[in-house]
Amino acid sequence: MPRLELYSPEGLRVDGRRWNELRRFECKINTHPNSSDGSSYVEQGNSKIICMVQGPMEPKLRSQMDVNKANIEVSISIAHFSTFHRKKRSKNEKRIVELKTAIENTFENSIISHLYPRTFIQINIQVLAQDGGLLAGMANAATLALIDAGIAMYDYVSCVSAGLYDQYPLLDLNTLEENDMSYLTIGVIGKSEKLALLMLENKMPLDKLEPVLGLAIAGGHRVRELMDEEVRSHGKHRSQRQ
Amino acid sequence: MLLSPAERQYLYDSLVQNPPIRPDARNVFQCRPLEATTTFLPSSNGSARLRMTDGAECIVSVKSKVVKTADTPNLLEVDVDVQGYRDDSNFVATLKYNLSSLLHKNFPFEALKLTSRYSYKLFIDCIVMSNTSYPLTIISMAIYLALKTTKLPKLVSEVDDVNVEEQPTFSDDWEDAKTLGEATGSDFQPPVFITLGVIGSSLLFDPSLEEEQVLENGLIVSFYDGKAQTPLQNINLALNSNKNNYKGLKSTHIVSAISMVNKYCGMIIHALDTLIDQDEGDGQVF
Repeated sequence: MPRLELYSPEGLRVDGRRWNELRRFECKINTHPNSSDGSSYVEQGNSKIICMVQGPMEPKLRSQMDVNKANIEVSISIAHFSTFHRKKRSKNEKRIVELKTAIENTFENSIISHLYPRTFIQINIQVLAQDGGLLAGMANAATLALIDAGIAMYDYVSCVSAGLYDQYPLLDLNTLEENDMSYLTIGVIGKSEKLALLMLENKMPLDKLEPVLGLAIAGGHRVRELMDEEVRSHGKHRSQRQ
Repeated sequence: MLLSPAERQYLYDSLVQNPPIRPDARNVFQCRPLEATTTFLPSSNGSARLRMTDGAECIVSVKSKVVKTADTPNLLEVDVDVQGYRDDSNFVATLKYNLSSLLHKNFPFEALKLTSRYSYKLFIDCIVMSNTSYPLTIISMAIYLALKTTKLPKLVSEVDDVNVEEQPTFSDDWEDAKTLGEATGSDFQPPVFITLGVIGSSLLFDPSLEEEQVLENGLIVSFYDGKAQTPLQNINLALNSNKNNYKGLKSTHIVSAISMVNKYCGMIIHALDTLIDQDEGDGQVF
């Protein structure tokens, strides 16, 4: 079988996108008004992620309390049916723990946590379907859920992945592309070019890093716009209702 | 939320009356209002999300796999994941056991048969996103919706492969896929569980978290094929309460529970069927 042509000479990718195009990005906030303080649902391509935030609340244990700032904990559960072939995953799998710490570190620095001393913020992420961009989708869902919960943040953290195929940078990879090329995931802070999250798990030539990062930042800005649109339209909807 | 002694007494007194006065003005045989969507996971054969008004929510996916019938002891595998509970906790294990025994006892397995050698195996994965009262009823209702909308690809190769070594092949067209009801050729209605609370001489369908705290006993009754079925068992639902008034169960309670389930469960099933018919099928979860 010939290898899949990930980027054709005409400049088209497996799913028909150009190099700098995002997949379909849809998001909703306040999806679980009765069971959480903040909630969101994100679809990035075929990936579907639900996030629920509880807090800021009184910590259950003394050890979870910090007198100077809020304590943030992320829990990730990936459904057994999220991939094409059903596979059982344990919560303590190394890869999941790594993603969890990455998200925790990101939001510990993006939430203005000194405003919430002695409190506990629990972020629950549930992945229903995954098709690439797992970390990006989870972090976007967490950003939206935190906004919905009314927790003060410095700015949006909008995440997207970008990879390098031969010498072409490609934006927002799906599973097929992720399996075959080196890629990084970034989280951009608001409209700036500062990064709150950068994850690169394999090798990328140093001279190619800049164009890939540049493309990812531009993609992150677009994701921020799409999330902002949803937050504003939801806000408008809520204010009209009252 | 734990009730104070005064609140508990007030609730208890209003529930032991005949007829009972429930805090949300429900009748004894009414379930709480629910909303649901189906068929939103493109990589699963069937999926459903069900949410109660109190925020309890469950997502179920049904996935299928072709297996050799002789090598597989059971063609249904149920898995339950409750947020906030360990997979090996008693709570999760009991839910899983109840659901597996319900489905293994009451399921038209001939619908899964492909050829004389091969069958479909169904993997039913349930995720409870948040729960307040005992989640067995909402999980089983979500499984009902997911199984009802499950579509399995159509077999295009020979059905009889006793003498020829042949791998089953399937139609490429998803429009040809059949639901389990179409495969059995009858009106397929998966089994469901109904939780009943026992208090005084009355039985309450689908008790809420507050009601659970003052209940004297609980019953789980299964419903399939138009009537109450086994498994049928009693359970202490007042787990969240620190001071429960758990009492024994009278045999008359069981008899009246069965007659109530026979009388009213048909309507619940009908409501779930209407829900499937009204679903737009636009593949949206929310």
